[in-house]
Amino acid sequence: MTATTDRGETTRTARAVNRPAFWYRDLISCLQATFGTVLHQRGLDPLTVLGAGWEFLYLPGDVRGEEFYYPCRPPGDIGRALAPHHPVSATWHTAPDDDPLRVLAELVAAGELPIAAVDNYHLPFRPAFHDVHAAHLVVVYGVDRFRGLVHVSDAMPPAFTGPVRAEDFRNAWGSANPADEQDAFFSDARIGRRYLTVDVGPDVPTLDREWLSDVLRANVAGFAQERAGWSGLTRYLRWLSAAAAAGDADPLREAYVFGWGMQALSSLHGELLRRQGARWSDAALSEAGRRVESAAHSWTGLRVTAAHGWPDPRAAAADIDRHGQRLRERYEIALAALDRVAALP
Amino acid sequence: MIAVTAPSRPVDLSEACNNVGASLASATGSGHFNVWGNSFCAEQLPPAGATVTVDGVDFTMPALGSGGPDNVRCEGQLFDVLPGRYDWLYVLAAAERRAEDEIALHYAGGDVDFEPLRVSDFWAAPPVFGETRAFESTLMHYPHHVQYGVPATMWCQRVPVVRRAELLRVRLPRNVAVHVFAASLVEAPAAGR
Repeated sequence: MTATTDRGETTRTARAVNRPAFWYRDLISCLQATFGTVLHQRGLDPLTVLGAGWEFLYLPGDVRGEEFYYPCRPPGDIGRALAPHHPVSATWHTAPDDDPLRVLAELVAAGELPIAAVDNYHLPFRPAFHDVHAAHLVVVYGVDRFRGLVHVSDAMPPAFTGPVRAEDFRNAWGSANPADEQDAFFSDARIGRRYLTVDVGPDVPTLDREWLSDVLRANVAGFAQERAGWSGLTRYLRWLSAAAAAGDADPLREAYVFGWGMQALSSLHGELLRRQGARWSDAALSEAGRRVESAAHSWTGLRVTAAHGWPDPRAAAADIDRHGQRLRERYEIALAALDRVAALP
Repeated sequence: MIAVTAPSRPVDLSEACNNVGASLASATGSGHFNVWGNSFCAEQLPPAGATVTVDGVDFTMPALGSGGPDNVRCEGQLFDVLPGRYDWLYVLAAAERRAEDEIALHYAGGDVDFEPLRVSDFWAAPPVFGETRAFESTLMHYPHHVQYGVPATMWCQRVPVVRRAELLRVRLPRNVAVHVFAASLVEAPAAGR
């Protein structure tokens, strides 16, 4: 659409043909929710793409106070990190100082759905509006420069699709997201007009039992890697437990943030396997999926204990250790189940 | 869900309540169900002391909206129960994110069994463990405001009492993500004893 302002300027309004559909699960963060929305718009099944991989990866010093933090291997491509078995990649960009909305408008006009980092404090539809600073992601599906609106989609409850004032969006997008005592986890991480573009290449694999078996074998093999996987999980949990016992609060606070990505990944992988097991009448696959979900649910005890316990780490140390041991046990049981179903014809 | 027809015996948890899970709209800051200070909307839940029946099981509701503790945040508390032979322990519970843990059941003679306690998230979530939606507030209380569009759910979940023996005590899990508002034991039918 082309429109003319009262100053005689000709502007374009870019808007996706259809409002994007929400994609949400209760254990995921805005990262998986926005990716799921974009993947669905591209005609892909988000659960298959985001739930195919399963790994453990902790990168010391890498965790940022953002709801959408996720450890990336390879560095910088969060698409490959989230969807290691699909031709998906995603790149972070920073919009220029001069007319930053133009870049989003151009992307939408080209059929893209950029994902923008925002500070919830400035977005009227978020519960944190004018209350708490917190880093978040939304999908941008329209930029109405004539009316001064940006159309966004946010599947995270209370879930919103629609326009916000461009001024509010710019404030959220350009926020310094200052440290906020009400949010010890997701504040103090500069937003800086960042946005993600998601690319989906050709040769998207077909979801069948043979492909899934290959995927499961690759996932299990990944857990045998020296620094990540099983040894990485063991090392991380021991380090976290020791940090709590030593009274170090930062690792506990960080555990709530970092653990979200691992918990979300585990829940999606487990759900995918359970769903496919039911569709293919493959009981062993369903059971393996449930084992993985059990590992996902064990992250709750560790994350929530850490979240409540970080102000007094020593008092929480014994519970952190116990939840860590249980989490490790659940991963071990799940890996054994996956190993078995991956070997089945 | 087929309602239970056997007699149920509410368990008194009042002495162990250690968390404020529901608040009034006039004092949302008093609630602290989760780490963010969210809480149930007490105006949409049964009043304190009310006897409610969910799935055919009777529960005594805690002091929701009183400003004081109204649920047991699970830290391994141990309860004596009315000694008897039971088939199920029913709970009205909710979790700060999905949680799977264990309850310890202590029987006469010294036997102990661990049984699973699975509770779904209270915050805008489905019953992933097959619970009954016992009560739901359509609003979520935040420390400084009432939020529309984010429901809070109290689930009715059950734990099997498998052993055919007299149950004496129950220990809740040591998992602060799990909150129990009320509990009730369902008697075993005479033939099952």
